[in-house]
Amino acid sequence: MLKFALKNMGIKKVQIILIVISIVISAGVGVLAFNVSSQVSDGIESNAGYYSLIVGPAGSKTQLAMNSMYFTDEPLGTIPYSIVNDLLADNRVTSAIPYAMADNYNGARVIGTTSAFLKEKAIGSGDMFSDQEVCQAVIGSSIAKQNGLKVGDTIYTSHSASENSKHEKGILVVGILEETFSVYDRVVFTQIRTLWEMHDHGDGEEHEGMHATVCSILVNTKNPSYAMQLTNEYDGKVIEHDEEAFTLQAVEPMEVVRDVLSEADDTKYIVFVLCAIILIMNIIIISIITLLNMYHSAKEISLMRLIGISMKKINLLYIIQNSIIGLISTVVAFLVSRLCLVLMGDYVSSMGVVLNMSKVYLPEIFILVGIFLISVIPTVICTFVMAKRDSLAE
Amino acid sequence: MIEVKGISKKFKNETAIDYKDMTFEDGKSYILLGASGCGKSTLLNMIAGILSPEKGEIIIDNVDITKISQKEKDLLRIKSIGYIFQDFKLITEMTVIDNINILRLEGVDTSRADEVLKSLDILDKKNKKVKNLSGGERQRVAIARAIVKSPDIILADEPTGNLNFAIGEAVIKQLTEIAKGKTLIAVTHDDRLCKYFDYVIDMNEMTGGKYDA
Repeated sequence: MLKFALKNMGIKKVQIILIVISIVISAGVGVLAFNVSSQVSDGIESNAGYYSLIVGPAGSKTQLAMNSMYFTDEPLGTIPYSIVNDLLADNRVTSAIPYAMADNYNGARVIGTTSAFLKEKAIGSGDMFSDQEVCQAVIGSSIAKQNGLKVGDTIYTSHSASENSKHEKGILVVGILEETFSVYDRVVFTQIRTLWEMHDHGDGEEHEGMHATVCSILVNTKNPSYAMQLTNEYDGKVIEHDEEAFTLQAVEPMEVVRDVLSEADDTKYIVFVLCAIILIMNIIIISIITLLNMYHSAKEISLMRLIGISMKKINLLYIIQNSIIGLISTVVAFLVSRLCLVLMGDYVSSMGVVLNMSKVYLPEIFILVGIFLISVIPTVICTFVMAKRDSLAE
Repeated sequence: MIEVKGISKKFKNETAIDYKDMTFEDGKSYILLGASGCGKSTLLNMIAGILSPEKGEIIIDNVDITKISQKEKDLLRIKSIGYIFQDFKLITEMTVIDNINILRLEGVDTSRADEVLKSLDILDKKNKKVKNLSGGERQRVAIARAIVKSPDIILADEPTGNLNFAIGEAVIKQLTEIAKGKTLIAVTHDDRLCKYFDYVIDMNEMTGGKYDA
């Protein structure tokens, strides 16, 4: 039966390819839209809540929070490192982690911080960089893979994309993070003094004022009310340092993330509505295609009936054929959606989320099973109707 | 043995054909002659269980097929009857062998296919698509499909209708040779083919002669 079904499909190649393409496009788009929106939300949520507040230069709250937690966009500017010490001296504060973003390594961001910044992350190989030594780095797993780096290698960062802007001093890779499928996979982490040293040209001239400055400070407090107090104290505060005035801002990251996610939720809702529309169109298109297919097969079916093939066997034959088409379509749709995830990876990573190709959400399985059923059910109905209207049955 | 007793078939245009009683003995060949519309093909379709008469009995090996279900008729047609249709009823996009193997859907043994195709001189066409065959070759494929299962009864509706006389005569010669020992009932309006059959039945006479064209 299966052999004959395959042969019968072989004589309708063009028709079947068109059916498969139509199902693959609509199912693939549905699955991809769901997966990307879910992974982006999950990626943002996974990093939220680590810190009580973030202190940085005045400007966009979202830019400060997203840059400090997801390494997106550019830093708002710099503030004196002395604020870190001020915060650490405050008995309401449990930790104050300096954060500076400068330079890149083959396009990957280089972050200057302390080892506390990575305390939630596991080291896959090697060790954490030392807080006492400079020019040591822990790199994300994607960077290691893409550049063929291993522990013990030396990397040369650059101030811009230009090869000429490479720093002469190298940074020793002492550890590689375990794969996290987050933006951490694509970042180089080093002690903050490494960045200061890279930008101190030894001629007493500081490069872009990097020396003893940070882009932001990630703060944890003993309790949430202290976070609120400190936010009020630091937000809008102006401090003098080296005869320069710095206006600070303080944000509670969860609040910012909540705002971002509420916008993402609206986007997700739109995606779901689009998915639902696509699925409804799927049902209509696939049903019409199946009906036309069965209509075109009427001659073939009457031929088989005349030579004595029972309606039961004919029904089974068409159900097998359409099940194969449905199965191929859903599998191809799934593979196409994964391929699109890879292709979209670079774009989405610029938003701070690394798409995981192997991440499958349960609703995606439901969508694919639904698509499979949609491609088979019209055939079952058609064959049932045909059996009822069998010209030979009286 | 096939016995046709007092059957009548009514058509959509309300005209009815009343058939005289007929008996077809096992192992004999019959040719049904008659003008178009006299009910020759209708009789074959009723014997094959494709059509049902309004009244009367068609008894095949002591079973009245007018009383059995469509499922049983299908089973009879697939197992015991080889039907050669006037327009061949072949899937033209498929190969010769696939058109024969289609019977496997109902569990029919088609292992004799090569032997049958050889006896009909078309073994070399086995893997050719039917659409690329000539009319005579297509007719032979239709015959091969009908006889591959070694049916007790072979029904042939105008087996030479689409062929010129020379090719048609060759096909009939082969068909009667292969059908030796089986009950063969062929419908034609070409009386030049009568010599190849044991019996000739004038269907104009069997249906009262009132349907002469």
